[in-house]
Amino acid sequence: MRAKRIRSGYSHLNENYERKNEKRDEKPKKKKLKKTKNRFLSKIKMISLKSGTDLPFLFLVLTIVVIGLIMMFSASYPNAYYLHKEDSFYFIKNQLIFAIIGIIAMFSISYIDYNIFHKWAVPISGISFFLLVVVLLMPPINGVHRWVQLGSFSFQASEITKFAIVVSFAHFINLNFNRMGTFKYGILPYIIILAPTVVLLALEPHISCTVIVVLLAAGMLFIGGVKLKWFGMVLGAIASALIYLVVFTDKLTYANNRISGWLDPFSPGAGVDTWQTRQGLYAIGSGGLWGLGLGNSRQKHLYIPEPQNDFIFSVVCEELGFIGAVVILLLFAFLIWRGMIISMKAKDKFGSLLGIGLTAQVGLQVILNIAVVTNTIPNTGISLPFFSYGGTSLLMLLAQMGIILSISRTSNMEKS
Amino acid sequence: MAKGTTVRMWRRSLVVLGFLVFFCFAILIFRLINLQFIQGEYLQQMASNQQMADTKINAQRGTIYDRNMKPLAQSATVWTVVLEPAYINTDEKREIICQGMHEILGIDKDKLLELAKKRSCYTIIKKKVDSDVKDRIIEFKTKNKIASGIRLIEDYKRYYPCGSFAAPVIGFTGADSQGLAGIEAYYDKTLKGEPGRILTAKNAIGTEMPFDYEQMIAPKPGQSLKLCIDETIQHFMEKNLEEGVINNKVKNRAAAIAMDVKTGEILGMAVKGDFDPNEPFKIADPEEQARIDALPEEEKSKAKNEALSKQWRNKAVSDTYYPGSVFKMVTASMGLELDVINEQSTFNCNGSIKACEGGQTIRCHKRSGHGTQNLVEALCHSCNPAFITIGQKIGVEHFFNFYKAFGFHSKTNIDLPGESEDIFFNADGSMSLTDLAVASMGQNFGITPIQMITAAATIANGGNVVQPHMVKEILDHDGNIVKTIEPIVKRKAISEKTAKRVTAMLHENAVSGAAKNAYVPGYRVAGKTGTSEKIGLSTPGQKDYISSFCGFAPADDPKIAMLVFFDTPKGEYYYGNAVAAPVFAKAMQDILPYMGIEKIYTEEELKTLDFKAPDLVGKSVNDAKSAAISESLKPIVIGNGETVISQLPESSAQIPKDGTIVLYTDKESKSSTVKVPKLIGLSVFEVNKTAISANLNIKLSGTNLTDSSVISATQSIPEGTEVPPGTLITVGFIHQEKTAA
Repeated sequence: MRAKRIRSGYSHLNENYERKNEKRDEKPKKKKLKKTKNRFLSKIKMISLKSGTDLPFLFLVLTIVVIGLIMMFSASYPNAYYLHKEDSFYFIKNQLIFAIIGIIAMFSISYIDYNIFHKWAVPISGISFFLLVVVLLMPPINGVHRWVQLGSFSFQASEITKFAIVVSFAHFINLNFNRMGTFKYGILPYIIILAPTVVLLALEPHISCTVIVVLLAAGMLFIGGVKLKWFGMVLGAIASALIYLVVFTDKLTYANNRISGWLDPFSPGAGVDTWQTRQGLYAIGSGGLWGLGLGNSRQKHLYIPEPQNDFIFSVVCEELGFIGAVVILLLFAFLIWRGMIISMKAKDKFGSLLGIGLTAQVGLQVILNIAVVTNTIPNTGISLPFFSYGGTSLLMLLAQMGIILSISRTSNMEKS
Repeated sequence: MAKGTTVRMWRRSLVVLGFLVFFCFAILIFRLINLQFIQGEYLQQMASNQQMADTKINAQRGTIYDRNMKPLAQSATVWTVVLEPAYINTDEKREIICQGMHEILGIDKDKLLELAKKRSCYTIIKKKVDSDVKDRIIEFKTKNKIASGIRLIEDYKRYYPCGSFAAPVIGFTGADSQGLAGIEAYYDKTLKGEPGRILTAKNAIGTEMPFDYEQMIAPKPGQSLKLCIDETIQHFMEKNLEEGVINNKVKNRAAAIAMDVKTGEILGMAVKGDFDPNEPFKIADPEEQARIDALPEEEKSKAKNEALSKQWRNKAVSDTYYPGSVFKMVTASMGLELDVINEQSTFNCNGSIKACEGGQTIRCHKRSGHGTQNLVEALCHSCNPAFITIGQKIGVEHFFNFYKAFGFHSKTNIDLPGESEDIFFNADGSMSLTDLAVASMGQNFGITPIQMITAAATIANGGNVVQPHMVKEILDHDGNIVKTIEPIVKRKAISEKTAKRVTAMLHENAVSGAAKNAYVPGYRVAGKTGTSEKIGLSTPGQKDYISSFCGFAPADDPKIAMLVFFDTPKGEYYYGNAVAAPVFAKAMQDILPYMGIEKIYTEEELKTLDFKAPDLVGKSVNDAKSAAISESLKPIVIGNGETVISQLPESSAQIPKDGTIVLYTDKESKSSTVKVPKLIGLSVFEVNKTAISANLNIKLSGTNLTDSSVISATQSIPEGTEVPPGTLITVGFIHQEKTAA
């Protein structure tokens, strides 16, 4: 039913522009009163699910989180056992705590009106910049400045940055929606936000996050209505910059090694460490159609370095096979699709843009992560949302899902 | 400000959604298909290579026994030393292990260190280490408290307790205990068993995973073989063949085959110019080794390979040769079977014959000709013109049909590797009349010795072509019989009647004909000599020959057939009757009594038989003398005593009829000696005369001594030796008649 509506909406977009517009304006009005009441209720009755949360989306998130936790445990216990005093539960304990906190946070946030982020857009960007600067002053871990250390608690500054970009872009696009065609309102503010972010991220260095941030920003601007010629110009600029860097400087050596390792992971040249990629590929190849069975991965036994992190999907492929991997990919695809639908039907543009941005962030991370694991693109360090080990990351993701659920409450769509 | 989404936002969102969900996910799924299915097998293989500590456990190879269960090839436990770098976690430990292994195994330490740094959990550093070295390694491990990092794995090493005994037949094994030649190669699958494996899943640092994937597949030991070969018979054959090779200066090795004529069991198969299967890659012939050492460097390896493949080659099944006159037994069988000749047929030999009308003239070995002779005489003379005449009577078509029936035109399929095909004139069986003429006397077509002896066995057993085979039984590891190889009669080549007639003629041949040198008194030997020219195979500028003898015994109920075959004898003689027949006789003389075949002497033979010396010690000189004379012995009294205090030969020792018995009457007399005279090159009569005059006893051996043309060739005690009077000297006789049989 829903699918039909989208399809019809898409195919009749041009002819029925006016009519559609009218309809869309009508519907929220009808429900406005109810929504206000719901929001009021949500503030006093946290547990209530009757208030219009999008259950398919919620169901997808919870399913993915559960599967992710199971797979994280499976992938992590050998490492935990060997490297953390034979405590097989070392990683999962931590992750589970964050998952519970995250789910509580998600439900809580789903009751909060996302419009409060209008107020937060600028402060969050400020915090993001602050943290990106702070992180550079932190001692490097594995040669990179990515982690902000607060006592025993640490998190990646870029987790905040990604969210900051989405929120601030959604806020500014919404603010200047009708002037997005112009340079002053459509391009300039975003460059002002994006350029220093990119520079700071590149200094960490954190290429994968840079790529995600740039892609997120581009996507949001694209949806926000920036003229296509700007994209053409930026693409041209990036291409010439890359050519310049590759041809005239050796600034990309770090990346170069990764690229040559990517092209031929099985015969690494000097100084190229393709061990992780190679081991990941062995794991994927070992899975076959049905996999070796849950818990039976062999590659996780110290072959894949940190199998609980970026390369968790290779363990998934090994244990659950092609079937399992495709099912998980489909769950993510449904999640993205559902998230996009929720967002596009949000009652206001800020909601739409915020939802789309957050959904796209998950989508991009999933795609880039699996592309890395399958050696489709060079190894960059992207974690798989809901699967990879990392408490703050999981907490952030669940909180962001909470925002999408919050949007869904106001979304102009059928609730199941 | 407008709320909600605009159409453009919708459109662009859908583009983003489509890009993410359809485009990107599709790429990822295709990527997964590629990795998990297309490259899956390869990746999986690579993964298991690193994950599985797959330790191969070699199966114990089956034993090869002779027919009396004496082991000829066995596998003993040895050890493989394995380095496990993944277990070596400190530099100090690595240093200790490498130093220790360097000291114990003598491996270069730097090489060991390099190996020990590699990311691996299984690197073989030394194979087939004996248990004393193993004990030293264990001691080293205990002393240095090394629990892991170096490991010993059980393996087996093949060894041959009898050395070069039957080596080209039994063959040998390679470094991985795989059969490379002979029975070891032919029965490799049976002998080798199935190696077992220990599959242990190991993690990347090499320790076994606490969550077990260990799988042990026990090795299945190989089955053992019980050969038809009788070690004793084989030994007699090898001993005599070796002697023949030395006496006749044989240049190109020699072979002998003994076969049970009824079952086709190979009782012995000897090849001389052999090797030690314990060291198969060493050139056994020191002369050959010296020759190779003298070669320029670049030719050495080629020469060495040639020498090795020559010493490994089983001449009895892999070489083809012209059977020569031996084949006449087959030609005679054909003629009798076709009824174109009989024993009374007469043949005239004037020294040569034309192969066909207007064809080439072929000479007889006796230039003056054998004159008029019947079939039996012609065979005993090994007369070429007579057999060419028989061949003409048989005709090309029948000749080839019988050739096939006797099994010459197909491999015998004996259970040995490398059997050669015959080389007939034309593959389709056609041949010219000249070809037929020479073929009738066994020339110009190549067959293998195993084919020839199978044909001889066919004549001996009443016309049945039997399947020659090496293996009698296949036994499991515990010695239970898994399979018994039953004798197979392939077909009947000739009637029993024909076979009996040919046998009778061959017996006559051994008694009085050209095969006299093969005669073994009492054992009714039948056989045929052969001397064939190696046409086109000789050393340039000279004629090389193959001397052979093929026969069987006893003629009245043949049990064993034997072929003796010398390639290129360069001694005094090259004729089959001078080179091969005496070796045949000697071997048979050993073998037939061992086989328990009853002796039946003719009256003439009985006359020359030895008997046992009577006990004359303690008797008075006169009594002793008369007792000796009554036994038709010649008494010689030495000393001045009254009674006999000692005698030679001693009581119950062998003494020939009309022999000399020395009676000692006092102690001083015992120290008297006589000088052994020259006893070679004399007739039986002369030998006896010389011996009697020298007060020595003679034992005659070697051939049918009733014949007048025998001549002594060997004496057991060399000329000039001082011996007590009455000492028994064995004198060997051969036929001196130089018939190119």
